[in-house]
Amino acid sequence: MDSKDAERTDGNGDRSRRAYLATVGSVGAAALAGCTGDAGDGSTPTETATDGTVTETATATPTEASLSGTLTVATYPSWVESDGAAGPWLKEQFEAEYPDATVEYVTPDSAVNYFIRRKQQDAPIDADAYVGLNVDQLLRVDSELDEPLFAQVGGELSNGDAVRDGLRFDPQERAVPYDTGYISLVFDESAVDRPGTFDDLTTEPWADSLIVQNAQSSATGRAFLLWTVKQFGADGYLDYWRDLDSNGITVLGNWDDAYNAYSEGEKPMVVSYSTDQVYANRYDQDMTRHQVAFLNDQGYANPEGMAVFADSEKRALATEFMDFMLTAEAQGEIAVRNVQFPAIPAEQANLPEEFARYAKIPDEPVTFTYEELKGNLDGWIEDWAREIAQG
Amino acid sequence: MAGSRTGRERSRRAERVAVPLAGLATAALLVVMLYYPVGTVLVEAVTRDGAPSLSPLLDVLRDPFYVGALAAAVRDPAGVPAGVGAWFVTSVADVLGALAAVPGAVLAPDRSTLGALAAAWTTFVGAFPPFGLFGFTAWQALLSTLASLALGLPGAYVLARFEFPGRQTIQSLTAVPFVLPSIMVAVGFVAAFGTNGPLNDLLRALGLPTVELLFSLEIIVLAHAFYNAPLVTRIVAAAWESVDARTVETARSLGASPLRAFRDVVAPQLAPAVATGALLTFIFTFMSFPIVLALGGLKLATVEVWLYDRVQQLALTEAAALAVLETVVSLGLTYAYLRYEDAATRGDRVASALKREPLAGLDAKRIALVGYALVVGLVFVLPLVSMLVASVTGPNGLTTRYYEFLLQRETTAATSQTKPGVAVRNSLLFGVGTLALSVPMGLVLALASLREGVASRLVGVAAMAPFAVSGVVVGLGMLQGLVFGVDVFGTRLAVGGPVAIVAAHAVGAYPFVVRNVAPLLGGLDRRLVESARALGATRARALVDIEVPLVMPGIAAGAAFAFAISIGEFDSTVILAEGSRAYTMPVAVERFLTDRTLGPATAMGSVLLVVTAASFVVIDRVGGRYRE
Repeated sequence: MDSKDAERTDGNGDRSRRAYLATVGSVGAAALAGCTGDAGDGSTPTETATDGTVTETATATPTEASLSGTLTVATYPSWVESDGAAGPWLKEQFEAEYPDATVEYVTPDSAVNYFIRRKQQDAPIDADAYVGLNVDQLLRVDSELDEPLFAQVGGELSNGDAVRDGLRFDPQERAVPYDTGYISLVFDESAVDRPGTFDDLTTEPWADSLIVQNAQSSATGRAFLLWTVKQFGADGYLDYWRDLDSNGITVLGNWDDAYNAYSEGEKPMVVSYSTDQVYANRYDQDMTRHQVAFLNDQGYANPEGMAVFADSEKRALATEFMDFMLTAEAQGEIAVRNVQFPAIPAEQANLPEEFARYAKIPDEPVTFTYEELKGNLDGWIEDWAREIAQG
Repeated sequence: MAGSRTGRERSRRAERVAVPLAGLATAALLVVMLYYPVGTVLVEAVTRDGAPSLSPLLDVLRDPFYVGALAAAVRDPAGVPAGVGAWFVTSVADVLGALAAVPGAVLAPDRSTLGALAAAWTTFVGAFPPFGLFGFTAWQALLSTLASLALGLPGAYVLARFEFPGRQTIQSLTAVPFVLPSIMVAVGFVAAFGTNGPLNDLLRALGLPTVELLFSLEIIVLAHAFYNAPLVTRIVAAAWESVDARTVETARSLGASPLRAFRDVVAPQLAPAVATGALLTFIFTFMSFPIVLALGGLKLATVEVWLYDRVQQLALTEAAALAVLETVVSLGLTYAYLRYEDAATRGDRVASALKREPLAGLDAKRIALVGYALVVGLVFVLPLVSMLVASVTGPNGLTTRYYEFLLQRETTAATSQTKPGVAVRNSLLFGVGTLALSVPMGLVLALASLREGVASRLVGVAAMAPFAVSGVVVGLGMLQGLVFGVDVFGTRLAVGGPVAIVAAHAVGAYPFVVRNVAPLLGGLDRRLVESARALGATRARALVDIEVPLVMPGIAAGAAFAFAISIGEFDSTVILAEGSRAYTMPVAVERFLTDRTLGPATAMGSVLLVVTAASFVVIDRVGGRYRE
């Protein structure tokens, strides 16, 4: 499937060749990773990756010269700005490792759309890598652009194989996951019982209790909506939402609006992340109001990815940066600072002991694949939004 | 001797071309910073597959979700009479029944009166066909306008007619709500009016039933009034201060009661300002968006919510169609208003302000004012205080953590991080720059719109365009029209950074100067200017020496609003500041928001609040000096 996708999108000869090599590389590396993984538990993902030297045929072996200069990384604001953000830490570490390189972050307000519009208008991209890509954005990139915005790098990453399989959301291996969250409910156990199933939410004990986010304007809300589509099917999810709506729900603009109203005690349940207690624990909060509920023992996985812009002239440096983000140390640090789960298996990431205690993992993570969402996503959201807004 | 004469001639020549040149410069700025970028987006509404077409607009107008009952009329115009007839037959009884219940309920008031009135109202409203998303959006804007007038007009009365300690400061502070980022207002409102907020605590303490205000139409209307009632207050108070006192004295000396004098003499002079406040409030709340989703939720969505979604999806044709229809509504109202203003303000007044009464004392009027003060305390002071309290409250009680975050960011920020101090400095600099640029722009356009007739009215309508175009569209236009740049003979010309931000702010702000100055200019005795011109003064000289001093209250009010617009502007600032150190306070608030905590953002928002309040006190003091 990977190679088919690669052939379809890559028109010109040079890119096809590179894409082909990258695909071969990724297959080779995956096979090798499998071998070493089985061979001994002691091998760290970094060692596994160095074994996969096949990848280096895809690009020229990085030299001193190709690993210098300024790497411009586009991302979302909180990657750079939040208290203890992962971005600045990563910049510092990477620059220490590669003294000739400088990392610069840019945070365009319209995120990936900014680069899609640039590409459509033949304006220079002016960035080398993107951090914070999700599957919705990737679908938009592919439906809007014929020319590739992001390059295929999957096979070029030495640490790429460490990424858990369930998280990979780009069949063309442009976007590589670096962390993930699970959408769940957060509730106040002094006010409501723990809901166990989706159907519980439509019954009296949980009447008028839940705050969700608008799926049009919020990634959290969109993930929760998709979870219900996953559960009830494209033909049934609107019926479920009608039941939910008649039992009383509040649909607010984004995570901030929803969580703020929840924190003020307006309603006893809110759609949020299963890592809620990590943050609460950091500030010694009472856990009564930070209970995490997985409906039907599931949680909707929302992996975040990184990618290299196809127009970047710093491809070697950019892939080195991506590789760096997948090292055991960076994975642990990103998870803690971003309050998300690492993209590599948790036991391979350097995570503090507390993390496992407070970051809850659903028994059954669910998510839609790129192919399943393609051509459906916007329609599902629109039908849902019209249903709610008419109410 | 000869040299000095040529010097004088040269300066006279400069004066002669000053007004036309300023007009040209204003027009050029408007084209570059507004009409061209916005045009690149809106053109999508009237093209399909590269050819001119009305189908994007018709698609929206045929969709019952957007326009409700109108959709059928657009799809099948011939069926309209039959449709109206059918509605009349089925609904007229309901409407009459609802109206008939009212006198009985009012004449014999008892416990059930309120309930009966509410039921009658619901039946009355329910009998009308729904008009979809546009209908609801207009409806909430209308209610918000009425609420803003109800809350704002008494304020104008107090500030314009009474003297009391702190009056000037309070007048200055009325500009503060206008600049607050919506997330701050959402935080303040949820804290103040929520289930566990101080309002309900008070009601519980008094043994009264609590109120469920959040996530309702009421809270949206209240939040819109929070933003816009101060606008009404400022505009109307400025007009009240320039009422010609002699006209009132004449009426009184002819035996008119104070009430009669107010109704026949003062009210007509205030009416244009009241209408201006109402028009601006309607336009602003018609395009309201983040605050609606934060406090009301998707069930109370406005057109702008869908417009934003379409821009996010890059479904630009539909986005442009929605934006064009929004703008048509706003500009249509502006045109109607300008026709009215033309009729209302032609006159030969010279302002000599009414004397203020002392506020101290006790009578029915002053007791009513105490009631008003309580309402102001509830609707304005309580949410503002709640915002400040939120910035020092963590999950476990009082904390200075969020301010420590700001301080730490200020002292040890990494290169790509936002520094609060830089944001404050930029906001103030851009604010002053905006003020300096938008006042002359506004004056020139006010002059141009002053002549009688349709053409100048159209200039007046075009002058309001910055308010009438969705901020989301302006932002997108700036992005693709300016930031990305255009190829000119092989070089890419791109616009961004501080100068572009000030220019964009000035373009967004000058309509306030026009709307505050034009009615006053229109009311001036034209003979003053004509005699000056006859005595050899150039147009520029007459403007500076005669008109400007006479309309100074309007200029001062407009300038303060221009500053406020600049401080509060987000949509274009965030786009033009991208990649430079030119971010402002609202941009910093937005950047400090994360999916984990609101704390740092509320601290930055509180800094914004305090800095803005302090600067308004200064601006009004300076402006006030010119007014005397």
